[in-house]
Amino acid sequence: MTSSPVKAQAAGRDGRASLKQFTRALGAAIVVLVIWRVTTVGLAEGYPASFWISQALNGLVLGGVYALVALGYTLVYGILFMINFAHGEVMMIGGITGFFALQFAQARGWMEGPWPVVVVALLLIMFIGMAASVLIGVTLERLAYRPLRQAPRLVPLISAIGASLFLQYSVLLIFGVSPHSYRKPALISGGLRLGDVFIPYTGAIIFITSILLMLALYFIIQRTKLGRAMRAVAEDRSTASLMGVDVNAVIVVTFMLGSALAGAAGVMLGFHNTVVKFNSGFIPGLKAFTAAVLGGIGNIPGAMFGALILGLIEAIGPSALGIPTEYKDVIAFTMLVLILIFRPTGLFGEVLSEKKA
Amino acid sequence: MPKKLAILSLFLVAALMLAACAAAPPAAEAPAEEAPMEEAPADMSGKVVIASGGMIRIGGSFALTGPIPDPGLNIRHGAELAIDDLNAMGGLEGFMFELVAEDGACDGTQGTNVGNKFAADETIVAVTGGTCSGETFGLMPILQEARIPFVSPSATNPDITSADCDVCNRVALSDALQGATDAAFIVSDLGITSIAVVHDNSDYGKGLAEIFQSNVMDLGGEVSSFEGVQVGDTDFRAMLAKVGADGPQVIFFGGYSTEAGLIAQQMTETPGLEETAFMSVDGAYTQQYLEAAGGAAEGTYISFVAGADSEEMNADFDAKYMEKYGVSPDELGPFHSQSYDSVKLIAAAIAAVASVDDSGNLVIDREELISAIRSVDAFEGLTGTIKCDGMGECGAGGVQIFQVMDGSFNQVSGFGME
Repeated sequence: MTSSPVKAQAAGRDGRASLKQFTRALGAAIVVLVIWRVTTVGLAEGYPASFWISQALNGLVLGGVYALVALGYTLVYGILFMINFAHGEVMMIGGITGFFALQFAQARGWMEGPWPVVVVALLLIMFIGMAASVLIGVTLERLAYRPLRQAPRLVPLISAIGASLFLQYSVLLIFGVSPHSYRKPALISGGLRLGDVFIPYTGAIIFITSILLMLALYFIIQRTKLGRAMRAVAEDRSTASLMGVDVNAVIVVTFMLGSALAGAAGVMLGFHNTVVKFNSGFIPGLKAFTAAVLGGIGNIPGAMFGALILGLIEAIGPSALGIPTEYKDVIAFTMLVLILIFRPTGLFGEVLSEKKA
Repeated sequence: MPKKLAILSLFLVAALMLAACAAAPPAAEAPAEEAPMEEAPADMSGKVVIASGGMIRIGGSFALTGPIPDPGLNIRHGAELAIDDLNAMGGLEGFMFELVAEDGACDGTQGTNVGNKFAADETIVAVTGGTCSGETFGLMPILQEARIPFVSPSATNPDITSADCDVCNRVALSDALQGATDAAFIVSDLGITSIAVVHDNSDYGKGLAEIFQSNVMDLGGEVSSFEGVQVGDTDFRAMLAKVGADGPQVIFFGGYSTEAGLIAQQMTETPGLEETAFMSVDGAYTQQYLEAAGGAAEGTYISFVAGADSEEMNADFDAKYMEKYGVSPDELGPFHSQSYDSVKLIAAAIAAVASVDDSGNLVIDREELISAIRSVDAFEGLTGTIKCDGMGECGAGGVQIFQVMDGSFNQVSGFGME
């Protein structure tokens, strides 16, 4: 060491400052490039307004599904600081269970009955899917995560990936490798036609239901005693436990809430896209994780808006940038990389407690 | 700390994506190595020696998981029935045949794994498979290196057979023929000139879509868009909205059952595509397609590379299939008869070159077997009279075009109807 520590520190500061300048310039260049591409290529295609509206609606439906799943990631991260990578599989279990519930209902002719019967049956199917997801979510917490709660952060993460594969291949073994096709009842087949814009009923149901469920979640967290306990545990687990909060119970409830939302998403996605199989939770799970990071992981409104933004970008992006739609996943994951480089805490920022910061 | 975790998570996501993308098979390079054809070695290394009482082991790569598990199982059943029939007729010189089935998963990486497994096993005489083109591209270079000949019942990509690969054979017809027939059907028979082409980015689907596209252009048709999706996608609405903006009269999809069915279904919900016809290919000639498409399947077109079926032999086969597996062979998918023929063809070639030595061992020379498959001439199979050419094309029959009516496939054009 020839240079003095003070000098080295100054050099380090300079290095950091120039790195910061560099990332800023890079960010600006990327924004300019995207705007240039959109104006010269995407808009030059001359798509009608109804096209962009259709794509935006597709994106909002996608975003609604991502949001329900992303909330599970964000809730668990907020409390345990771990990424539950098996969360996509929790959603898939909801979808698979919903399929068998639907078959049961169809065999009894409930899906051809008068509309109140169909609506009640559909709600019941969704409830059964949610219940199955909750069961799996809570079991995961008990078996795969709780024993590792004191372990270094990486350990539960690896356990989560193991659990994800375990769930996928268990479903493959039990229910087979072929996709299961949901048969939509007549009541929710088809959709609304407004001029050149078509809104499938299932899409509208997904969007509205996801908004309602998110509002319910927000209410639970902000307005109930349980929600206060959750926030307290997220803030500082040991102090919360000293104040009489049952930390284990709060963690279990958190998993239940997140899993219930994922289960609902799984069933609704089953009705919307009509196919579920053992690995159909994997990609949506990754997308939802991306959405959670996009909005700021641990931040509940962030996950909702991050998911809607991601859905919109995925649906509109390829047309706006004038690239083939097969690159929609590339756009989504490029967003994730860019967010991590330029705003590691997400668009809306992570809500940091003192312990975490 | 959160930043660290976020970056860590990013790496994990990348790793997971890589694992998922492993499904993307390596580029279809034709194996470059020239096979040492001349001077058969004097030792036993170029020969399979089966001791008395041993089995003649034929490897099988079947798409038992992946996008088309039902047809994969169906093809495996076809091969098993061929083995049963061979053994019921006394095997070969008292030696029985055995099928060593592996899961090729319709995927290049898994095809490579299966190939390595077979190459490492000196008792494997020949291979039937793979089911999918991508999977077969994975198998190809390894079997070429190991001097194990294979016959695929269903890999239709034109590049499966080439002058560079002397172990590569198939009883399915090449997609060069299917793509041309489909293009002629749409442009000349239906008189449609505005065509959108979609593929699933698999070696099979994309390859066929490209052949179709160039044939359409040769016939004077116009390709309004050429879009890709991924095997396993379920939401095609954004892609279809983009395709629909050009208002094509037909969408042609190169790919497998589930994606084809979902595209047909979601087309009915896309402005600009309600009246558009839909056509897909042999990968979608399955019950799974009809199930995934639901009511939207009505009126859609599917082409298939059919054999010149001999009715008598097929009735016998169908009865045996039904008896052993409890379903009709058409229930799970196409290509069961090609699979049966593939194994029987391999067995016929083995019979032509195998000999019993003084100590009662069955000896099969690998190089002789490779050329024996290519010399098969006038072999009576379920798919017709099979004759292999110097490139390994052993397919008999032609391309048929079906239209879905009342929930089942009805032939409207092509082979067997002229």
